[in-house]
Amino acid sequence: MPNEMKGKKDVHQGTLALMVLKTIDVLGPLHGYAIARRIEQISGDLLSVNQGTLYPVLLRLEQEGAISSDWATSENNRRARFYRLTRSGHKLLESEKRDWEQTAAIIARFFEVRAEDLA
Amino acid sequence: MRALNRLFARIRNFATRRQGDKRFREEIEQHIAIQANENMRAGMPPEEAVRQARIKLGSIEAIREQYHQEEGLPVLESLLQDARFAIRQMRKSPGFALVAVLTMMLGIGAPTATFTIVYATLIRSLPYPEADRIVRIHDVRLQGRSTGGLVGVPRFFDLVARSKSFASAGFFYFEDTTLITGTQLPAAVKGAGVNAGFWRVFGVNPLLGRTFGKKDDQPNAPMVAVLSYAAWQHIFGGDSDVIGRQVTIEQQSTTIIGVMPKEFSVPAGIDLWRPAQFAPGSWTWRGEGSRFINVVARLAPGVSLESAQSDLRLIGERLRHEHADTDGLWQFESVGMRDDLYGELKPAILVLFIASGFLLLVACINVANLMLARATAREREVALRRALGASERRIQLQFLTEATLLAIAGGLAGLVLTFLLVRGLGAKLPGRLGMAGFVDMNWPVMVFAVGLAVACGIGFGLAPALRNRGSALNLDLKRNDLQVAGRARGGARNAFISIQVAISLVLLVGASLLGESLWNLLKSPLGFIPEHVLTFRLVLPWNSKPDATRNFYADVQRHLETLPGVIAVGQASALPTEDWHARGTFDADWLPRTDHHDAVNAEVRAISGDFLHALGTPLLVGRALIPGDGVSTPVRVVVNHRFALQYLPVGNLIGRHISNDTGSMEIVGVIADVRGTGGSIAGEIGPEVYFSADGAYPNTRRTFLVRTQVPPEQLVNAIREQIHQIDPHQAIAGVATMDELLGKAVAQPRLNMALITAFALLTLMLACVGIYGVVAWTVAQRIREIGVRMALGATRSQISLFFLGRSLRAAVWGTLVGTLAALLLTRFLRSQLYGVTANNPWVYAISIPLLLVPVFVATLRPALRAATVNPVDALRTE
Repeated sequence: MPNEMKGKKDVHQGTLALMVLKTIDVLGPLHGYAIARRIEQISGDLLSVNQGTLYPVLLRLEQEGAISSDWATSENNRRARFYRLTRSGHKLLESEKRDWEQTAAIIARFFEVRAEDLA
Repeated sequence: MRALNRLFARIRNFATRRQGDKRFREEIEQHIAIQANENMRAGMPPEEAVRQARIKLGSIEAIREQYHQEEGLPVLESLLQDARFAIRQMRKSPGFALVAVLTMMLGIGAPTATFTIVYATLIRSLPYPEADRIVRIHDVRLQGRSTGGLVGVPRFFDLVARSKSFASAGFFYFEDTTLITGTQLPAAVKGAGVNAGFWRVFGVNPLLGRTFGKKDDQPNAPMVAVLSYAAWQHIFGGDSDVIGRQVTIEQQSTTIIGVMPKEFSVPAGIDLWRPAQFAPGSWTWRGEGSRFINVVARLAPGVSLESAQSDLRLIGERLRHEHADTDGLWQFESVGMRDDLYGELKPAILVLFIASGFLLLVACINVANLMLARATAREREVALRRALGASERRIQLQFLTEATLLAIAGGLAGLVLTFLLVRGLGAKLPGRLGMAGFVDMNWPVMVFAVGLAVACGIGFGLAPALRNRGSALNLDLKRNDLQVAGRARGGARNAFISIQVAISLVLLVGASLLGESLWNLLKSPLGFIPEHVLTFRLVLPWNSKPDATRNFYADVQRHLETLPGVIAVGQASALPTEDWHARGTFDADWLPRTDHHDAVNAEVRAISGDFLHALGTPLLVGRALIPGDGVSTPVRVVVNHRFALQYLPVGNLIGRHISNDTGSMEIVGVIADVRGTGGSIAGEIGPEVYFSADGAYPNTRRTFLVRTQVPPEQLVNAIREQIHQIDPHQAIAGVATMDELLGKAVAQPRLNMALITAFALLTLMLACVGIYGVVAWTVAQRIREIGVRMALGATRSQISLFFLGRSLRAAVWGTLVGTLAALLLTRFLRSQLYGVTANNPWVYAISIPLLLVPVFVATLRPALRAATVNPVDALRTE
């Protein structure tokens, strides 16, 4: 993948899926653009989602049954596809979150280790 | 779970061909529109706003590709695409596709057809619950010949009383008998006397009514009978009211209590089962001649066949001590039911299976060759596709798909072929194999065929797939310019020729050996003349009065002799080729008697009428039996030539005596050896003693032999009428000409020979077609080289000889390898050979030219064509 935007991190697909789930969880039903926008905002523009890649992820999550979608009218009267979290999506988010926190905690501890701690 | 959900969604999308493309486009458009709107609000001019929105979104095509991959089943999709492409390719060259499919039809059809037999005999479990726990128990003589494994009743009861290895033990014996229903003419039926344990051994539930238990099996209990499905259909028209019907069997009033399901046929082809009603104490005679029951048993839970066998050995040993006089030379042997039924056929079936596998191998080589040839022709296409970005894997997969499709098409054609063969010939298979529905199309056969086809497809698809691996792209694309010598693939092709020749030779040798065996079997002296003899059976109740029996058979004899067209009429307890055993041991007045070792052990037959003339067996010394020889003192007997050779090689047997418990017998004549006594026409002939059937205890079951001037079938009705006149309660059974019986006896070797020969000829044909193809293709490939050679001064004959020589060298190698392989492999045929040794040089001397002549012709044509090439044209060929 071309990496023209140095300094910004590329997003791993699995991580992106987790972000999508969390975003919908917090903000309720959203359309694709809004999700992309939120992720961008929350990450403080540090993450550049190559915005289009969001759609295959959305499709995948929908096929997994984590989210469902429907056409509806957006805030400025445009027809758009809104995605909402399903029950199993909710569970998925919870378990992914726990996994993530665990991983993060473990990694964090490793970074805190100093040489004398291991002596 | 999630992965499963996703897979289902993918499959659903794939199956419904749902394309989310519209949805994707709409969503993307919305996305861009919103982004553009925002951009405009931020002050961008409209065009720039849209452009920036698009940049931010990324490459739509790449995303769409991703989206699409997420959506369906990409692997399957490319497979389908390959399949469509392959079908287009085949349509473009239907000749290639047709040859390949036809070849595979033969290649898959032959093993599949053989597999129907393999499956029915060696794989499919017998139709009884836990069938692998059922064994046959044979009584086997430690030295000399046994009575076909038959057991005597006292020994059976000893066995049951002492053995702990069996959950139940049963027996059956044959009783040909007459069934009178009251509403129809008497019907001759094949009955079996069985004990109550017999039903527990097999554990098959009746279709209607019940089977019989201990109570019915007590001596003097009211007689009952269980019908087979076939008898129920034929005799009672499948009437379900048959249960409880009173009929007369063996002149005994009998109640029909059950009907067995179609699959249950033990022993094969039986019409009805009756309780034997034997009690342990009621049989005391345990010497020779007392063995007539077939014993089956079900292993007790947790007992292995081996431990049951050692249990049996022990019992046998004890009985040898306790009854040294009668049981001193006998022991019990157990064998699994399947082995008992098909063990004898196994080598023949496996040989056929291997032969059909060879045929498949040759077919595969041919198709692989075709594929290779085409792959070479398509080198540029492949190079082009690779240049356009197709991965190597992708291209290999495509070749594999093409090959597998061809193979599957061939496999399906092969299945159709098998289906036709099974329908057309299944019922004509010899013996048990020919029983309705025994050899059949079923899902294991189909799975076998399709699996074989796929495996072959992958096998010969790999050849071209691997061939193109790693070749230099730029060279491939330019290939046309340097097509001179071709690549060094000639080695592989020559190896193919060698292998095909070798395999063909092995099969030809096998076919010749079996052919010669069959010839020997049919043409070596039989000891009788099978032509123009009609045979049939008459059975009186076993407890008929001796006088009545003798008179009845004498009456029949007289009546038949007066029929026009009849030359001679004879009677015998059993016919040659009939699986019927009776042996006796005797002392001989010219041989010393040793304890427990009787001087003479011989097969015993009872005859009457003009047996010798009716059968066409010559009298060698002395005279034939005449009426009265059975009731004279001493009774008079004749013996066969083998008897004389074995027991008195020098000297005159006439007037000498043999004896056993029943008294002394005088030998009055020696007749020629008759083959087929006891059933096997190929078996070695043993000593035989012929008594008169009209002795003090005349035989109630007799087979008549009627030698005729007219075709024997014409006499059947006249004979039926005569018998009916003499006794309206009698029905004649087992009507067959001696020719037919002989045909049945050699049906199995004949089938083997026919199939192996068919396989050998098909293989040879395929090999020739394949070799022709290879040489022709090589010539075509090297046409420019031929042009160059000719331009440089090579003569036409040099060119022809060059191609001919190369191929024939390969063929000679193949012949050498094939000869070695045949020498090794024909050892497995040994058990099926008769009168010919496996490494008979004549067989090779005939097979090798039979093989090389067509191979030479197949090579010659394209080689000669190579010489007709016009060098100018050849050099211009693109």
